[in-house]
Amino acid sequence: MVPSLLHSSSRALSAHTMVGCSTGYMSDVRGDWEALVERAAQTSSTAIELSALSEDELPGLIAYLASAPRLPFHFVSVHAPSKGRSMPEEELVRQLQSLPPWVSAIVLHPDAMRDPEAYVPLGRRLVIENMDRRKETGRTTQELQGLFHALAQARFCFDLAHAKVVDPTMAVAASLLSTFATRLSHVHLSSLDDRDGHVPLTSGDEALFADLLRRCADVPWILEAPPS
Amino acid sequence: MDPRSAALLDDPAGALAALAERTGAGFSALTAARRRTDGRVAERMADLERHAVGDDVATCVFGSWARGELTDGSDDDWAVLVARPFAAYDRDVCLEVVAATETLGVEERQPGSQDIFGHPFDVTELARKIGLDADTNTNLTRRMLLLLESRELHGNVRSGAITDILARYLHEGTKSYRPPRFLLNDLVRYWRTICVDFEGKGSAGAADPKWATRNAKLRTSRKLLFAGGLVTVLLCHLKEASEMPHFLGRWFDVAPTDRLAAAFLYAGVEESGARALGAYDRWLTLIGDSETREALRLVAFDTRDTSDLFETIRQIGMDFQAGLDALLFSSALGRVTRTYAIF
Repeated sequence: MVPSLLHSSSRALSAHTMVGCSTGYMSDVRGDWEALVERAAQTSSTAIELSALSEDELPGLIAYLASAPRLPFHFVSVHAPSKGRSMPEEELVRQLQSLPPWVSAIVLHPDAMRDPEAYVPLGRRLVIENMDRRKETGRTTQELQGLFHALAQARFCFDLAHAKVVDPTMAVAASLLSTFATRLSHVHLSSLDDRDGHVPLTSGDEALFADLLRRCADVPWILEAPPS
Repeated sequence: MDPRSAALLDDPAGALAALAERTGAGFSALTAARRRTDGRVAERMADLERHAVGDDVATCVFGSWARGELTDGSDDDWAVLVARPFAAYDRDVCLEVVAATETLGVEERQPGSQDIFGHPFDVTELARKIGLDADTNTNLTRRMLLLLESRELHGNVRSGAITDILARYLHEGTKSYRPPRFLLNDLVRYWRTICVDFEGKGSAGAADPKWATRNAKLRTSRKLLFAGGLVTVLLCHLKEASEMPHFLGRWFDVAPTDRLAAAFLYAGVEESGARALGAYDRWLTLIGDSETREALRLVAFDTRDTSDLFETIRQIGMDFQAGLDALLFSSALGRVTRTYAIF
């Protein structure tokens, strides 16, 4: 870990072993995977989520990972496209399967998965994220259970900010974590602004999330906004 | 701490099942392997029972037999324990070795190399020679394996030997409510020795068909062996010095997966425990498959980064260790780990 995280004002972030960045918030260098990886590594060299949120970003990411040496992170996740989707699901899965074996998690949004069966070939690498209030499904335990039932090997990406905006009492968050505890792959960590955009974790949210984060001490935490 | 976790602290037998019940984890491979092991242990005990035995000679199994993790590909790691010095043609010892050889260690399932297994040894040496030159690598290995993963199939030597070893470790300087340093240091030394010896074996040169399997076991079963001992010793900080021999003896009598499960439950990080032992369960599924074992023989140091199988094992190892890290550094045990386990 490099000083930017060691000196974070967040005690939780400074203390957690496996923290890393999503490249999704580094919009000024979007598409330049080498620069994105370098910037993420300046914050933490233990974990990273390479974000190809738009479908047109995926070919560049696949080509970069195919040509690059193994990245220095212990945990490498890829966020699969959820925007601008046009390719058939079977083709998307085929492309995602071509990611190097050291990419241990491939995050998908449940509302972007029309035919769950198509994703079976991703096995344990398939990681399904809980959604925020803007989505019509995938927000709560009940809304996710069917998907996980269909995908026995799929794991869970726990987005605390999404869960909070769905239920500020954090009861939904607690239910998600309890129900999918054995499937937990990693955590998405940030706060949300008024338009549900990811912003740096506030001290208020850090306190609100503390009990749940303690139950996630063994999994990577991916920051979806710069560390505070 | 809830009462059930407190009870497991006194007797960790069954802790893995308790963790499964608490978290909904399946542990299907571990559960099946335990059932398989218990069946085979009963068979071998019945076979060995037909042989007469002296009071101071016994047959003990180690490794996956003692961890309750037998698969079709497991070695039969056994040794004859002798509670006294003996000559090369000691009648009782020879009879026990013949019986053990007939019952265990046949055909391709014979014990591993390095003279650790498949031989008789004097257990009094284990307690008498701790540290310095006389404590050879073999002596250290036998002592640690007897403590950490052994199961007696015939005779009655193991319990007394463990009592003597613990008495030596706890003889002086042991303080109430602190982990016993002497034992802790020797345990850590053993783990580091395993890791260093792995590198020593790897420097032989030519492609080694056992390299990947040894590497995988360091990430999984060897790490389990160490961690199961480490948490046991660290948990001594809850005990008065006079209680430690009984506490350690009871904990070392159960499988390391039960010890770890009890520690996760005690420390209140049962979900991390479910994920860690879930990863270990996946390892057991892999290594129980003969095609996977063969495929591992084809993975070498130079080809490991292009092997999907090796990557899967690497992930399993990372998930397992991440759970152990949470237990040892981010739970109620963290203060004890930081205070005692490093220096």
